[in-house]
Amino acid sequence: MSDRTEVLVVGGGSTGCGVARDLATRGVDVTLVEQGNLTHGTTGRMHGLLHSGGRYAVSDQASARECIEENRVLRDIASHCVELTGGLFVKRPEDTEEYFQEKLAGCRECGIPAEVLSAEEAREVEPFLAGDIDKAIRVPDGAVDPFRLCVANAADAEAHGARIETHSPVTDVLVEDGAVVGVEVTHESGAGKRVHGVEGGTEEIYADHVVNATGAWAGRIGDMAGVDVEVRPSKGVMTVMNVREVDTVVNRCKPKGDADIVVPHETTCILGTTDEEVEDPEDYPEEAWEVDLMIEELSKLVPMLDGARTIRSYWGVRPLYEPPGTGTEDPTDITRDFFLLDHAERDDLPGMTSIVGGKFTTYRLMAEQISDHVCDLLGVEAACTTADRPLPGSEDFSVLRDYMDEFGLRSPVGRRSVQRLGSRADEVLDTDEPNPVVCQCEAVTRAELRDAIGGSGSDLNAVRLRTRASMGNCQGGFCAHRMANELHAGGDFDRPTVDAALDELWQERWKGQRHALWGEQLSQAMLNHLLHATTFNRDGAAPEDFAAFDAGECGAGSADRDAADASGDADDAGDTSERTAADGGVSARDCGGDRGGD
Amino acid sequence: MAIESDVVVIGGGLAGATAALSAAREGVHVHLVSANESTLRQASGLIDALGYAVGHAAENDGEDAGAGSGDADAVPGPLADPFAVIEDLPADHPYRVAGADALREGLALFDDAVGDLYRGGHTDRNALVPTTSGRAKPTARYPQSVAPGLASDGRPMLLVGFEADTEFDAPLAAERLSAAGVPFDVSGATVEFAGEYRADAAVTRLAHALERDESAASGRGTTAGEGRTTRQRLADRIRPHLGDAERVGIPAMLGDSHVEEVRADLSERLDAEVFEVPTGPPSLPGIRLEDRLFDALDSAGVSMTTGTPVVDFETGADGRVASVTIDRNGARIPYEAGAFVLATGGLVGKGLDSDRERAHEALFGCHVPQPDDRMAWSAGGAFADHAFARFGVRPDDRMRPLDVEGTPEYANLAAAGGVVGGADVAREKSASGVSLATGLVAGRTAAEEA
Amino acid sequence: MSDTHDTHDTHEDCGCDGEANRSAATDGGAVAGSTAGSEDEFEPVDVFEGSEMDLRPGADSCYKCTSCDTSCPVAEVDDSFPGPKFQGPEQWRLKRKEDTEIDDSITGCSNCMRCDGACPSDVPLSQMHNTARAEYVENQQPTLSREYLRNRILANYGTLAALGSKVPRLTNAIMGNSLVQKVNETVLGITAERDFPEFADQTFRGWWKERGGPKVESEEKRVAYFHGDYANYNTVEVAKALVRVYEAFGYEIAVPDQRCSGTPMFANGMLDDARRSAAVNVESLGEMIEQGYDVVASCTSCSMALRQEYPELFDFEGTETVAANTYDALEYLLINENVIDPLSEVDAADHDIPDFAYHAPCHSRNQGLDRQAVELFRYLDGVDVADVGDSCSGISGTYGWKEEKYEYSMEIGEEMFEHMEHANGETGMTECPTCSMQMEHGTGYEIDHPLQVLEAALVDTDVTI
Repeated sequence: MSDRTEVLVVGGGSTGCGVARDLATRGVDVTLVEQGNLTHGTTGRMHGLLHSGGRYAVSDQASARECIEENRVLRDIASHCVELTGGLFVKRPEDTEEYFQEKLAGCRECGIPAEVLSAEEAREVEPFLAGDIDKAIRVPDGAVDPFRLCVANAADAEAHGARIETHSPVTDVLVEDGAVVGVEVTHESGAGKRVHGVEGGTEEIYADHVVNATGAWAGRIGDMAGVDVEVRPSKGVMTVMNVREVDTVVNRCKPKGDADIVVPHETTCILGTTDEEVEDPEDYPEEAWEVDLMIEELSKLVPMLDGARTIRSYWGVRPLYEPPGTGTEDPTDITRDFFLLDHAERDDLPGMTSIVGGKFTTYRLMAEQISDHVCDLLGVEAACTTADRPLPGSEDFSVLRDYMDEFGLRSPVGRRSVQRLGSRADEVLDTDEPNPVVCQCEAVTRAELRDAIGGSGSDLNAVRLRTRASMGNCQGGFCAHRMANELHAGGDFDRPTVDAALDELWQERWKGQRHALWGEQLSQAMLNHLLHATTFNRDGAAPEDFAAFDAGECGAGSADRDAADASGDADDAGDTSERTAADGGVSARDCGGDRGGD
Repeated sequence: MAIESDVVVIGGGLAGATAALSAAREGVHVHLVSANESTLRQASGLIDALGYAVGHAAENDGEDAGAGSGDADAVPGPLADPFAVIEDLPADHPYRVAGADALREGLALFDDAVGDLYRGGHTDRNALVPTTSGRAKPTARYPQSVAPGLASDGRPMLLVGFEADTEFDAPLAAERLSAAGVPFDVSGATVEFAGEYRADAAVTRLAHALERDESAASGRGTTAGEGRTTRQRLADRIRPHLGDAERVGIPAMLGDSHVEEVRADLSERLDAEVFEVPTGPPSLPGIRLEDRLFDALDSAGVSMTTGTPVVDFETGADGRVASVTIDRNGARIPYEAGAFVLATGGLVGKGLDSDRERAHEALFGCHVPQPDDRMAWSAGGAFADHAFARFGVRPDDRMRPLDVEGTPEYANLAAAGGVVGGADVAREKSASGVSLATGLVAGRTAAEEA
Repeated sequence: MSDTHDTHDTHEDCGCDGEANRSAATDGGAVAGSTAGSEDEFEPVDVFEGSEMDLRPGADSCYKCTSCDTSCPVAEVDDSFPGPKFQGPEQWRLKRKEDTEIDDSITGCSNCMRCDGACPSDVPLSQMHNTARAEYVENQQPTLSREYLRNRILANYGTLAALGSKVPRLTNAIMGNSLVQKVNETVLGITAERDFPEFADQTFRGWWKERGGPKVESEEKRVAYFHGDYANYNTVEVAKALVRVYEAFGYEIAVPDQRCSGTPMFANGMLDDARRSAAVNVESLGEMIEQGYDVVASCTSCSMALRQEYPELFDFEGTETVAANTYDALEYLLINENVIDPLSEVDAADHDIPDFAYHAPCHSRNQGLDRQAVELFRYLDGVDVADVGDSCSGISGTYGWKEEKYEYSMEIGEEMFEHMEHANGETGMTECPTCSMQMEHGTGYEIDHPLQVLEAALVDTDVTI
């Protein structure tokens, strides 16, 4: 099986999705392939900060300027993915005044609105800030949901004719006559709507140009094409709190360091992070001390974090890159700028461009520049419109509407649904069927889940990313199985597919939760364990011989009644008759005889 | 002044109730003190003894055990006879410590306390009960309302779920049971719950409607079946799906205290035996069990104080526990007794608490063995052998928690239930049995020491 | 109502009796700065605009077990009320700073507080409900609406009672008039199904004053009696029983200035009204405690308010001290006195003490006191005191008075009524005045307070205490 496209984008993170959307809206025929879900790589493992640029205002002013510009763009085009929380750079007594002033000046130089707040003023904004802070700078940081943003980009690309294939890792880069002409992908599931365990075989996709947007994995694609792309993956931990201890992004105002930011994210807060170079973007240690460091350091800014509940931690790998020979030793010093590697110029291998480095906030700008480059190569003249065109879900969107009454939902459920769905709320939530809440922690209803299943198939982790179902404090304990039920009842997937999807989701939830297992989350884990192992018996093997077990006091109707009796001993029989006599009519009904009441 | 009694039992779950009944049987006056209503409300209501013989990895190997969902810890099929393997359990397993007779006597005490509410006492063998997720679960005692659903019974079965109930997908459960090879035909159907309640109506609301057999008038605006009662309408909705089924399983919400009346009525209307499928929380069978145990405790003359946590304790000059102190919104009231039973529960009941450094027994600070490295508390596979699942105090054969040296922490303190460690009761399906066995012994020990 | 006969100069928003010391009855009381919380505990603070407290971190304790939902008497009969888990930790956790809207189902909560007792994990459920309800009333309930007016009237029962009790017989006659009841229902939404409680001919405070205050003096054994509005205006016999029983045990009794405990105000989201009352009570009771008194209440909702709701919702100086030194009247006796031995000497038949059907009020259950009466009267020969089960009576203070809640209220109470019918006794017993109304309303039984039974058994009998 093979296919042909103008541009093949490898990687379904923010860059890849952004490029796919940009090119598709310029009328280019695009195919995007991703080895896992959308956002499977780094995008799905970031802290959700929509930079104001403040963090780069001292060290990297070019980046800072891009950030504030893109920050404004995203508020317009992606309003349902972005929350305008505002941000604070908080100075503790041990942080230098000099740096505080540099930060303030840097912000102003870069056009980032910055306002100095006294300690009292800062605590009016964020009441749980430490009592001993000196002061803060307020900047327009925000929070962004990377999953929603990528899904919206991909959906818009699809609406403009793009083909999006998830769970389709590239297994080879096709090079013919010294040029990249396409890739071979292995569909881990049937093409299109994903069904677990259905192998879709391999496919060669030919393209006029290949965009390698695989971030930390860029070296692997490079290897397949025979070129060196030396990405320096650097890991960082993110610890997810159960609630929003803060509603504003809280940064520590000091030059650099680990554990210096708290980002409110949906119903939670995310503590970040560390910066440590690793060999392999998929195999690196995840250690308890990293989580402890987040809590200990950041509770200096927000004391209640120490002792508050965390629900999981995860690690992301930054695709840092620097041109060969730069030789920066500390990964925190490596530039956050992105690099467009035109392999025709660089390696004399036409047909492929790799994108490395960069940061999430400026994904659209990167996509625009890459698309410009590709369009130049392909002779496409259409201009980029992504800065002005709202993403699906962010069109003509007013949160002020009274969605709760309209859809018969409780107000917080309706409110959260609309915060997630944006302008799609009407088409998703307007149903005549009963629309119960499936995930109570995150207020996700059946209608929203079924919409997500329609969009991403049987992969419950993809459904989770679209809806946030199972991402709250019980981490799926009370809803993972309910989500699986929706796959069966609403998605019409068969039992083995549903069971595989549930096991995969459950294992994914467990992996991150292991890093939060003390206090309340350990209690939660034990309750989840009891619920799924004891109450549901999801873990226990099925019996081989049903007849060896108790079939009831009379064993009435048992197909294997004789066998059951034979394996019981004489004492049992004696007990039975005694019990029956004592209970009278009740036992008679038990035995399927008299069905009258007592 | 203090409230005085012979024995104070701390904790009102299954273990606490068993210990209190066990001690009261020895003729002492027992005061049962619990911080909150019983966690039985969260339990399915099944009384498991021992369903699976799971492996018992060494304490410190949590890190690498089981990369997949329990694949690395393959456990053989369910045990038909829980008593047969007790001698083979690890040495610190509560059943090994308390002895098989303790389990047997604990189950007998339970049977005596709950009377006709439960079945299964006629045999040592486990029964297999279909769960809401369509698995056959081995259990020793099961509510009478669950009895007709046993998986070793060969009669054809229909499972019924409700449209707005996201917990139970009856067709999926039926498919899973079939795939597990049950010796009967089983199908599933999803119907609208009779009465047209809001989609997020509490389970207790639906149970109440069935218990009271509400007429249409008291339900919300309804079109179909005007003038008919909840049960009539429910039966009407199930009937078209019956086929050859001789028994019909419905999530365990068939009324509160009058479940047998509801069941009999529906059975008659459907001409098939109606039974309950135990659910996750909220659990009506758990509530019924709680009520029945309360009656048993009341009859046994046990004094009860619920809603007040024990926050402290004092020891006498002899090193024995002299009193425990409850907190009532800041007022601290001592309860004196000759002996005490610690039945405060495990990690869920908060008898065990933990921080980033260590897990500990929350009231007396009794020794809780555990790996030093927090990451070794759990294993990689979701259903693998987790050290945390076995957290708890390790008792002597009289259920007295032992210190790190292996001597009793206090001569007159015994422990029972979830606070006792040494077994992954979830994977074993042994939580209730451990509570009964340890509760029985702890109650006796307390009566002796009182 | 009897306004034409009113000669009483009411203080603004004051539910206190006119006989109370005027100087202490000025509004406000001492409202000092916040008291320091314990070092590692989460201290709620203002985050939401126009709201009381940020209780989102309270959701950290929830692990979704739904024990609270199964304990909720309202969710069991009213599917428009989603239950305490949703109302509490879930709704709070879903909030962002700018999200101030509260789901209107909060008005379905009857404030029985049983969810508090059910939660195995210390989620501050009723605090979350109380706070959300106050926010709802403040931001979403128009002050000109019938509900607001009605709820304000119900919540401030003491203010009305102060008026009505001036001319008790006339008030009783008017309130008992079915036309007036009908008007109340149509205009105010107060159910016509219930008879208004009758006012006593003389208030308790009037009796206490006339009696000349305490008859027993003691340096060691001193209690300050918080009688609340109802024992003052309506069930005066309960208050008198407390005085006689406590004096029999050698206690010196003080009856300090006080206002409504605030229970009906919490239940209706009238937190400002409640705060004003609480300020007076905390100051007044705090002074008594300083003088060596412990506080006792005969109404379990009053003791509940002083012990739990005040510390959860207010931060007056001394709130915690008052909470820690307040007791239910029976509880206090059982802790400090040997009641059992003298009671064991009594034969009920000698004193015409009947069998009882006892209902434990939700607010006594919440304090862990639901068993004390039943277990105590086991020692009283010749009396069968049957516990009529753990259901809520259904009235929950003002809940059952609301026209739209009346049916639910009776449906909740149904189980209790049935158990009462089955019990041997044909007299009811409970500590809560509104439960007592409901018990009487549902069965026609006379209802006693445990203190009245103790009075009959122990006071002026030949028993040695």
